[in-house]
Amino acid sequence: MQHFKLIFSATFVAIKRDRLLHALAGASLLLFLLVPVISMFSMRQVQELAITLFLSSLSFTLLIFSILLGVFSIWKDIEKRYIISVLSMPIKRRDYLLGKFSAIALFLMFTVCLMGIIGYGTITFAAHQYQSEIPVSWPNIFTAMLMSGAKYILLAAVALLFSVISTSIFLPITGTIGIFLAGSATQGLYEYINSGSGAQDISLTGQYVIKALYYLLPNFSAFDYQVYAAYTLALPLDTIFYTVCYWLIYTSFLLFCASIIFEKKEFR
Amino acid sequence: MNIVEINALSKEYKVKKKRIRALDNLSLTIQKGEIFGFLGPNGAGKSTTIKILTDQIRATSGSATIFGIQSNKAEARRQIGYLPENPAFYDFMTAREYLSFTGKCFNMPESSLAERTNQVLATLDLLDAANRPLKGFSKGMTQRLGLAQALLHDPDLFIFDEPMSGLDPVGRAMVKKIIKDLKNKGKTVFFSTHITSDVEVVCDRVGILVKGRLVAIDSVEHIMATGIEGYIIQIRGQDNKTEEIKVSNSELNGVIARLLADNVKIERVNPVAHNLEDFFLDTIQAQVPTNESQ
Repeated sequence: MQHFKLIFSATFVAIKRDRLLHALAGASLLLFLLVPVISMFSMRQVQELAITLFLSSLSFTLLIFSILLGVFSIWKDIEKRYIISVLSMPIKRRDYLLGKFSAIALFLMFTVCLMGIIGYGTITFAAHQYQSEIPVSWPNIFTAMLMSGAKYILLAAVALLFSVISTSIFLPITGTIGIFLAGSATQGLYEYINSGSGAQDISLTGQYVIKALYYLLPNFSAFDYQVYAAYTLALPLDTIFYTVCYWLIYTSFLLFCASIIFEKKEFR
Repeated sequence: MNIVEINALSKEYKVKKKRIRALDNLSLTIQKGEIFGFLGPNGAGKSTTIKILTDQIRATSGSATIFGIQSNKAEARRQIGYLPENPAFYDFMTAREYLSFTGKCFNMPESSLAERTNQVLATLDLLDAANRPLKGFSKGMTQRLGLAQALLHDPDLFIFDEPMSGLDPVGRAMVKKIIKDLKNKGKTVFFSTHITSDVEVVCDRVGILVKGRLVAIDSVEHIMATGIEGYIIQIRGQDNKTEEIKVSNSELNGVIARLLADNVKIERVNPVAHNLEDFFLDTIQAQVPTNESQ
């Protein structure tokens, strides 16, 4: 546990001192501050658009952070040979991997909280500009934010798995982006092939491929609660519960696989 | 007591579908308090052996234990101070922060960590740079920090991979002194190098690795003694002039007896010896036909 904590805090310090992340955080902040201004362009749905824009901006920021941290965190240690110095100490590889991942996950959730504070200000400001018939539901907005955080923690686990598999940077980046795009689309495709017209339009082989991808790849669209937040719809608590269980199981499975591969990895 | 025990260790790498044997049936033991020099030309398998001992890579066959614990267990590394070849450390930290991180990894108590950190920084002449980020460290400074983090928790075994690499003459002298000090404290040091003069100065025993095979292992003292080809006797003649007489090993006693009988003043007797470099080169040369025939 001691070693896990040490790797966790070292990774968190590395993230805190990363200048690229500072620049990206600054750009994100600017994006959030522009939310009330851009929302004005919608004459009637200022509040709804502000919520949607805010959650989309948060999602984009978390996407960039999760890919960067998930891919580069371990890859950089291997590439710059830091890992040789670290793993020659009595640190178990599993503790190293989980310490890294936990720091990334915590940072993503910290980003969610920080952006939540900023979001509170920007959405309140935008909502006062044009009174909506729908009241702002903060529990719905915070649920959407937390689910977004969970989604990108899962993506970081995907990135981490790729970064322990490959020694080059190409596979982790393209693989993570590819899985993210495919995992975001499978839900829609699955529903399409189960609809009458979809079953006719797509060949049987294509339908099997889509079904296989739907069951194998992480389903990122399951974490999307933007509509519930923007239009204050009643939250489906049972669906949220199952999604959280799905997230826990899938993330644990990815980390388990990454841990087995990392245990066998050689650092020449 | 054997601190390091290596039994029939072999390692094969796959390079472009070809199998390359980096280490071939290596067996070796290192005793407590010994300074063992691991010599060999580039690509001989020295670093491969060290990487197996520190669990960076896994042996294809054979085993290695450190203090009786399998080298692939994290527990085995608790009593090791390791300096990797061309070391690199988290460059977002300062030297002091990195040493604190290292100390905590070895479960050093907070109370002694700060004091010990200052000690090793002073020993390696890094006190002035202690609070600077490692990003700005030169190669020599990084190498010295590598030694500092190896010394920090005062382990019983030190494994240094090319410890003099990247150091200026002052740094090299510093490292040699550190190794000698460690010997005086009864510590065990296992270090790889291809610089024979370093081994000659600090090592008790030396192993020579060629193409993954241990081809020679002997004490430095014995190597130096068996390398004696003859002697030069310096005498002062009757006209008060200095003369030198070269004699073979077998002639030495007889010649000295004759000179003494003739009342000749013997000023000095110097052995004409091969140095370790000659031994190293001869050993490698001797392997060439064997390897070529294979």
